[in-house]
Formats: sequence, structure tokens, C-alpha cells
Amino acid sequence: MKWIFVIALAMGMYIAQAAQYTQPLKRGSFKEIVEAHAGKPFIVALWSVSCTHCSTDLEIFERLGKKYAGFTLVLIATDSPEQETEIRSTLNKYHLGQTEAKRQGKVESWVFADSYTERLRFEIDKQWYGELPRTYFYDANGKPTAISGVLDEEKTERWVNAKP
Amino acid sequence: MSARFIFGFIISCLLTNIVWSAEQTKMHDTSNMWQKSLAGKQISSSAVFDERGTLWLAQVQEGHVMVSQSTDQGKTFSTAVKVNLQAEAVSASGETRPKILISKNGNVYISYTQSLDTPYAGNIRFSRSVDGGKSFSAPITVNDNLDPITHRFEAMGINARGQIYLAWLDKRDAVAAKNKDEKYHGIALYSAMSDDEGISFHANTKVADHTCECCRVAMAIDKTDTPVIVWRHIFGKNVRDHGLARLDGTTRKRDVDAVQRVTFENWEVEACPHHGPSLSISGDVYHMAWFNHGAERTGLFYAHSANGGKTFSAPINVGNSQRQAGHAAVLSQGKNIYLAWKEFDGEVTTIKSMYSHDGGVAWGAVQSVAETRDVSDHPMLIANKEQVYLSWNSQQEGYRLIALPYKQIAQQGGKQ
Repeated sequence: MKWIFVIALAMGMYIAQAAQYTQPLKRGSFKEIVEAHAGKPFIVALWSVSCTHCSTDLEIFERLGKKYAGFTLVLIATDSPEQETEIRSTLNKYHLGQTEAKRQGKVESWVFADSYTERLRFEIDKQWYGELPRTYFYDANGKPTAISGVLDEEKTERWVNAKP
Repeated sequence: MSARFIFGFIISCLLTNIVWSAEQTKMHDTSNMWQKSLAGKQISSSAVFDERGTLWLAQVQEGHVMVSQSTDQGKTFSTAVKVNLQAEAVSASGETRPKILISKNGNVYISYTQSLDTPYAGNIRFSRSVDGGKSFSAPITVNDNLDPITHRFEAMGINARGQIYLAWLDKRDAVAAKNKDEKYHGIALYSAMSDDEGISFHANTKVADHTCECCRVAMAIDKTDTPVIVWRHIFGKNVRDHGLARLDGTTRKRDVDAVQRVTFENWEVEACPHHGPSLSISGDVYHMAWFNHGAERTGLFYAHSANGGKTFSAPINVGNSQRQAGHAAVLSQGKNIYLAWKEFDGEVTTIKSMYSHDGGVAWGAVQSVAETRDVSDHPMLIANKEQVYLSWNSQQEGYRLIALPYKQIAQQGGKQ
């Protein structure tokens, strides 16, 4: 009995740990992300562990993620893969880690993995100058609407509800 | 499944977890991560010519500000001298860089932002050399509030009288307001002045409340030897346009009305643009370049003011907005005005420039000055008498000093 418990615990921790991995955003990754979500609305949120205003958005995402099964969030940190621990602890703080039991929505985490950040920014949006937070609302037709700065929670919830 | 296999699996899982936990504990201190995040790409540099035409370069290496000289326009440099002997988390990426100025008597002045363990926290540091750059004084902290909070993005200027000015973004009032459960937009702008050649600084003075949090501050000295600063300010609820102030020692009202607003793009955003302005003064005229993403206009802009910033010429759009035109530097010498900025086409980062010989009214064609295919610093413009140079550091190519391809048109007077 004791052994089974240990096995279960070990496996559980093992899986939790593996699933929390933040994926590296390299050249071409963004296109793949958009393609992977084609046909369904989703939100791309660019943030950073050193961004003053981003935590307000993370709180909004935490609440919406708990409430809506249709809520799909792609978080992209503009930090570097070496900051994974800090990224992970920030996301866990807002219950946006990948194994959050209370969440209905889907969350994935990416991080800038190219020192030439200009190129990654350009692939995401030629009109994005790096200000944070920056959020894209992709509708079911793959058309994005961009917003710079802290989100309006009511409007964001309405958007999630409308399943555009 | 054999018992042996199960045992092995458990051990391997546990081991992984132990290693993982150890790593977690080791890395748990977020301050380490903060420092680490700063360590990676410290390529932001500053350079200046002294009166004899020697180029002085300040760069950051492994926690040290390093100063070297070149007497052949940047082809070769002297062995770099350490400013701070003890390594610090010197901030040198994006909007923040060590600054270097040379006074008329040959003193070398260095300022920089030292990052602290707490995220966004820093100190404004200052050091000087009075032996021609052979050695530097132990750095002093200029901000007289020593809480581990934001004191960052300093700008430094020196006037003909030898007074040294520093202006920086400071969170002390925002923290005080928070402690009293009061609302406070953004942070504040503080300044300090030294009139003993940098041995000490007078008490910190507040210039303005409610500045944007993470854009560089620009400073230039006017013809009365007074520093003028421009920064990204928060107007009204959340409009991030630019404010201007002369550090003339007069006491200011501590409200938004005391701030002279100089741009009107109405960028209403609760975000950090990481995109501060540039300022240069010649005679009576202020020349300014800035970036905004507002409701009125969007992009990179240039304008000038002949009445101390009360009114500016109609902003002209600079660069290609489809190519991320940004981070402009402006330099004026009499009626000769130079602009340099960054563009990116998806693969190549190019520094573009243009030149006006009539005080910024008519502008010549845009030229490409330098390029790189990896991470790079913002462009800076510096002058050695009439020749203006691009001063630019990039990861692949290293530091470059490139003469701008413009011949100044001879003028009568007007030069600073």
C-alpha cells in the first residue's frame, strides 16, 4: 500500500513538473501557435516578469480562466528562457500554471527564446513596438485585434462570452 | 512489471524531483533571477568627444562600467579602466545605459543605474576621474532616498559653469502614497546638482509627480546654462505624452499643471512603452524627437520650439512606420540638425539618418548608416566639432563610430 502511494506521488509530481514547461518562442513559433488555434477564438497575451502593469492582466485572466471553459490563453513572456523559474512562479501566483485544477479554460506559456527580440516582435506584429502588456484577441477567422496596456475586464469577459 | 523496474522508476522519479526541488530552492530567490535577467545583454553604451577630439567610451562588462579612449575616431581604443572596482548590477540594456561626460578641465564624469535585488529597484550612481581617466572615485549614490525602490533612468548633463546635473525617475512618492492608501499615477522625477566638480551633490529636488515608469529621460543644456529635461509623463487619467521642465531652481507646484506638456498624441495606455524622447538645444531652439502611439498620431516624430517649449512646430513623421521606426536621437549644431533612428525589416536592423541645414524645416533624403542582424543598442549621435557621428553598439559587430555623410553648410553665428 505504502509503495503504491509513493509511486502515485512520484508520478503525480513528475507529470505536474513536466506539464509546467514554458515553451521557447523561436523564429516561426508564433505562426505555428496561430495555426494550432485556427478556427477558435483565443487570446495572445504578451507580458514580462519585469512589467509594471502586467499583473493586473494576469489577475483578469485568472478569473476568466476559472469561469469559462472556452477561454483559451497563449501567454508569451518577453523575458528569456533562463528566467523560467521566475516566469513559472509568477504564473503559479495567478493560478495560470498549466496544472491548475480549478481552471476550466486552457492556458499555454511561451517565452522569447531569441536574443534578437526585434525579429520575434516583428513576427507577432509589425506594429507592436514592445510596449507591455500587449494583447491580441484572435477571432475564429484568425483575425487579431490588438490592445496595448491594461485590459478592461468587462470588455474582455464580453469578448470571451461572445465566442467571436 | 518486475519489482526491480518499479523500484527503478520510483528512484528515478524521486531523483528527478529532488534535483528539481534543489533547483527550485536555489532559484527560488527571485532577486537572483532579476539580476540574471540584467546580466545577459548589457550592450547599451555611451560615448562622447572631449575638446581635443579624443573619443571616450563607457560600456558595461561583468558588473563594471569600463571607460576607454580613442584618438583615431574609434578605430583603436586604450585599455579600458574600471570605474566601480566592486562589481554591481549595472543597468545597460534598452533604455538604460552608463553615461559619460567630459568637463572643460578634463574631468571625466560617469553616471549609471545600479539595479537592486528587488525588481525595478535601483540607485543612481556617480563617479569621477580627475586624472584624465586613469582612475575613478568610488561611486556615490545620488538619490537621497535609499529605499529599495525605483531610482532609475538617469540623465546627466554638464553646463559651461561646470555644474553637473542628474535627473531620474523615482518611486518614493508613489510608495508614500500607497502607504497612506492613496492613489498615485506613475512615479516621480527628481534631480540633483553638483557644483563642486562631482565630489558631492545637493539635496534631491522633485521636478514633477506622475511620470511614466520606464522610459529614458532626455536632458540638454540651454544657452543660459540651465538644463532642460523632457520625459514621458502621465497626463490626466492615463495619457502618456511628454512633459518638459527647465531645472532653473524655481519651486514648482506639485501637481500636473506645473508640467509643461509638449506632445499631444494622446496615447492613453496603462503600459510601459520603454521608448523615451531625445532632446538637443542650439541657441534659442529646442529640437526634440519622440515616439508615440496615440489617438491623434502614431509613430516617430520630430519638432522644434523657438520659445522654450511653449509651442512646437508641427510634428513631422520620421522613418518607416511599417519597419518599426523608433528610438530616435536628435543632435543640433546651429541650424544643422541631425536625426538617427532604428528600423527593422524582419531580418536586418538598420540605423537610418537624415539631415536638415535650415533648423529642422526642410530635410534631405533618408540614408542608411549601419546595420546588424542581431540584438543592438539604440543609436546615439555625438559630435567632434562639425563632424557628427553615429555611436552604436551591436552584439555581432561590437562598438562602431560612423561619420554621418553630411557636410555642414557654413553658417554665420547660431552655433552653440
